[in-house]
Amino acid sequence: MPQPLSSKENSLFRQVIRNYEDKQYKRGLKAAEQILKKNPKHGDTMAMKALIINQQGKTEEAFALGKEALTADMKSHICWHVYGLLYRHQKNFEEAIKAYKFALKLEPESHQIQRDLAFLQIQMRDYQGYIQSRTAMLQARPQLRQNWTALAVAHHLAGNLSQAEKVLTTYEDSLKVPPSKTDYENSEAVMYKNTIIAEMQDYQRALDHLESIAKTNLDRLAVLELRADYLSKLGKKEEAADAYRALLDRNPEHPEYYTKLVEVLGIGADGAAQKAIYDEYAEKNPRCDAAKRLPLDFLVDRELITNLGDDFREAARGYLTLMLDKGVPSTFANLKHLYADQSKRDTLGSLAHEYLESKKASSDGSAPADGDSLNGEPAALYYLAQHYNYHLSRDLAKAMEYVDKGIELLPKNVEFHMTKARIWKHYGNTRKASETMDEARKLDLKDRYINTKAAKYQLRNDENETALKTMGLFTRNDSPGGPLNDLLDMQSVWYLTEDGEAWVRNGNIGLALKRFHAVYNIFDVWQEDQFDFHSFSLRKGQIRAYVDMIRWEDRLREHPFYTRAALGAIAIYVSIYDRSQATNGVNGSEDANGDEAAERKKAAKKAKKEAQKAEREAAERAAKQDPNKSKGAAAEPGKKDDDPLGFKLAATTEPLAEATKFLAPILQFSPKYIDGQIAGFEVFIRREKYLLALRCLNAALALDADHPTVHEQVVRFRQALNSKVESLPPKVAEVLKSKFTIVDDTTDLKKFNASFQEKHKDSPPHVISTVKTERLLGADKTKTEKDLAGVLSLKDASYEHAEEVLAILRQWRSGETDTFKAAAHEKWPEVTAFA
Amino acid sequence: MDIRRLEPRDIPLIQHANLENLPENYFMKYYLYHALSWPQLSYVAVDVSRPKKTPYDYPKIVGYVLAKMEEEPSDGVQHGHITSLSVMRTHRRLGIAEKLMRQSQLAMVETFGAQYVSLHVRVSNKAAIHLYTKTLGFDQEKTEPKYYADGEDAHCMRLDLSSIREQIRDAQLDAEDNENDAAAAAAADDDEHADEGEPVGDAGKAEDKKALPNRPKETKRKVKVGRALGVQALVEKDESKHA
Ligand SMILES: CC(C)(COP(=O)(O)OP(=O)(O)OC[C@H]1O[C@@H](n2cnc3c(N)ncnc32)[C@H](O)[C@@H]1OP(=O)(O)O)[C@@H](O)C(=O)NCCC(=O)NCCS
Repeated sequence: MPQPLSSKENSLFRQVIRNYEDKQYKRGLKAAEQILKKNPKHGDTMAMKALIINQQGKTEEAFALGKEALTADMKSHICWHVYGLLYRHQKNFEEAIKAYKFALKLEPESHQIQRDLAFLQIQMRDYQGYIQSRTAMLQARPQLRQNWTALAVAHHLAGNLSQAEKVLTTYEDSLKVPPSKTDYENSEAVMYKNTIIAEMQDYQRALDHLESIAKTNLDRLAVLELRADYLSKLGKKEEAADAYRALLDRNPEHPEYYTKLVEVLGIGADGAAQKAIYDEYAEKNPRCDAAKRLPLDFLVDRELITNLGDDFREAARGYLTLMLDKGVPSTFANLKHLYADQSKRDTLGSLAHEYLESKKASSDGSAPADGDSLNGEPAALYYLAQHYNYHLSRDLAKAMEYVDKGIELLPKNVEFHMTKARIWKHYGNTRKASETMDEARKLDLKDRYINTKAAKYQLRNDENETALKTMGLFTRNDSPGGPLNDLLDMQSVWYLTEDGEAWVRNGNIGLALKRFHAVYNIFDVWQEDQFDFHSFSLRKGQIRAYVDMIRWEDRLREHPFYTRAALGAIAIYVSIYDRSQATNGVNGSEDANGDEAAERKKAAKKAKKEAQKAEREAAERAAKQDPNKSKGAAAEPGKKDDDPLGFKLAATTEPLAEATKFLAPILQFSPKYIDGQIAGFEVFIRREKYLLALRCLNAALALDADHPTVHEQVVRFRQALNSKVESLPPKVAEVLKSKFTIVDDTTDLKKFNASFQEKHKDSPPHVISTVKTERLLGADKTKTEKDLAGVLSLKDASYEHAEEVLAILRQWRSGETDTFKAAAHEKWPEVTAFA
Repeated sequence: MDIRRLEPRDIPLIQHANLENLPENYFMKYYLYHALSWPQLSYVAVDVSRPKKTPYDYPKIVGYVLAKMEEEPSDGVQHGHITSLSVMRTHRRLGIAEKLMRQSQLAMVETFGAQYVSLHVRVSNKAAIHLYTKTLGFDQEKTEPKYYADGEDAHCMRLDLSSIREQIRDAQLDAEDNENDAAAAAAADDDEHADEGEPVGDAGKAEDKKALPNRPKETKRKVKVGRALGVQALVEKDESKHA
């Protein structure tokens, strides 16, 4: 029952609302208290009070009060609306939608409630609900164009293209006066309609419509691009060619325009004719790079086949000479994709050598006059250093030779030092790589790029603290959280991920989890970020960009940024689980690694000390802070982190539930990423969710049936099933039997493993996996350790393989460990991990 | 390298490039605000030749320009503003920054009728200052002391965009010329047909059109000879004027 208030209190109540809207929370609260003194059970006032204290950060209290308000007045739309807003604040959108719907039932005319509901519906992708809401909003205010556009968007996103078009047309038809030429909203709405027609694949109609709006449309580029696209789809080749030429005149650095032009001209097979097109644009635009470089993609040397000449060689020589003469440091970066082709790779290498010789011959050996400039001889040295550092043409000794010559010539040049650091990295010498990149950094203290690289290399060398200090040279450090806080605020995903991975290697699982969770949370924020744009974009009228954004947000967590951090977290949670099983005595003692545990303890202790120090420093900084500038992030209430070191995270008793949380988006959005399926198997088999584990396993097998880790998982799965089959529900057992066919329950797993090993006996990763599997199947420990160490003598063994072997031997607490490490050190003396 | 408009899905890697290259950083929502308010103005340079590492790789952004229109210009004049511009060190000196800027400037005029574009640059940033003043023709307006968080001063720069506006107008007039010529040609064709009473093939028609002399109409304010110049070419002509 809505409770009547006296007129004085009524006006007070209106004031509460005003105060809330103006963010004058203290005043609003005071007024609310005044009402409640006389009417302690006035639902609407209680609700408004709840809303205000929620804004002040007292979420729980607010919720309790909100509930109380509802009990006091179940029939008040205000109480329901507030209840919905509180849920919305907690990001419980489903409950919020329910509450709004109640509110709306009680007050069907409320524009505000309808809006709030609509935006939650689209945020939740409840398209049918959104269509309903937008229809109601349109009926309430049909004079607003954005209400028409919004309904069209609702239909469009729901997949009903023709309905979307119809809504837009209905509005257009209702216009008495044509919109002005500078009306963005109109310009964009008609373009939006055009793309909907095209999405229906009715290209002729799309073209006709486009022609009718083209002249006055404000988005020139979209008009030109769409027109070209429709023309070529409709087979109107001549006109399409003109259209692509017009686009090239605008932007000759967009390779697709050339490709399309060549396509509609039908000269794809004719290298010379193609080249002529590119030459034409190169001539028209002397500063254009694409027209000069792109022909290198398709040109070939034909001397071997016929004696037609060295098309590629000549073109490449021209390009290389131009770039090296000018001293463009990014020349190699711009050409390296050609290295996939062996002969182009060789040609480019020899051209660079030729160039170097010619420069040497013409110079007198003294340093170039032009100080630090990378042209001529140094440019060639720089190119060759990168050439020999590149994985497809790698010869690290030569790379080092060229880079050292370059440094001799230009001792202060950042690029040479940076490349030298990369060479060390490829040697596996993370220590020298880190040191050298830091030297490069010191040569250009103003450039954040080189600073970033130095920090990254420090992280790769497991120097977390140093790296943060390096980062701190460019972050905003005025908040008490220091550089890390800025990196979190600015959503520096790369840093958080690399830092987390380095903490894993340092054995600090708490901080590692902390970082991976931070990335997880950033993705939550990114998803939440779209919320405001549901209304904003309609006001701005930029509908196509909005629809693009919605579609991208729909698969936001497909981004490799997410997957990488999530896989890091999953691996930790799985190992936490395994350790807990081992200490519970379930799994024998093999995995319980005493050294590792001790190291972890030590690291945790050290981290704790550092955190205390950081806190002290932060307090000092905060004390020194200019009170006039307290508007920063530090001033936000209720934002204190109560687990800065991740102790709580690492102490979880539900590691597999946590792992599943990270895993779900990978399986949903990146199912074709085999590492995700492999991780999924590891989580599900531990949770004894055999059907789910099998689904991952089968997905992985479909992606790569010969993957070494997947092979191991196949054997483990068979083993698990053989021992568990009795205890499984018959239905499940049945499905497993019919879906897991690669090895049945009669297969001799040892033989199966042996034949897999035979098949891949030259491949280090496969040998590693089959030896691990052998051991799992009960093979002799000494033998498997010897076999594993034998990987070292395989022809294709790299130091990365050896690092993996070393880690496994350590885990097995094998007597071979030290001998293996020494042998690996001898084979790869530069690798830090074997030193 | 591929120079194209920014798309929302590029944002994580644009943010990454920004964090890698510059001390002035923004959270994602600020990028979204640009992308959803002025989607025509921001451009990216993408390394299209990178081999894929996973099936879900996103286009690798090696350079970007993040631009906007000033929402409430204090001088009442519509103008654009460069929020951020950077290129990965591994891809510098290829002309990427210049091309990103030119595309953005063109769109500022075409879509939003910008009169000029403004930006801030650190007084110590020689490369950027060179790019803006020498290559692009910006004028240095004034210096704003302690503009940056670390206390460095900023140069405020501005580039008048009226030459782009003129080029667009000329190109439009040319297009109209061509249309009118075509219409005139078609009419002439019809006359001929009427005279000769003979059907002429499509190809022949096209040839005839080209052969016909320009017949400027009175309605035109300006008569230009020759083909419409591509905007790119015109922009470069403008550069020499400033250099
Ligand atoms: C400034 C920056 C964006 C230039 O990017 P870029 O793609 O290398 O620039 P371009 O290749 O388009 O250069 C165009 C012109 O700018 C000038 N220029 C660029 N880098 C220069 C340098 N290091 N020294 C002197 N002039 C330079 C030159 O005139 C050049 O023309 P040229 O190569 O024909 O001589 C890039 O150096 C960068 O990202 N720096 C770090 C971030 C930054 O400072 N951003 C600007 C913030 S306001």
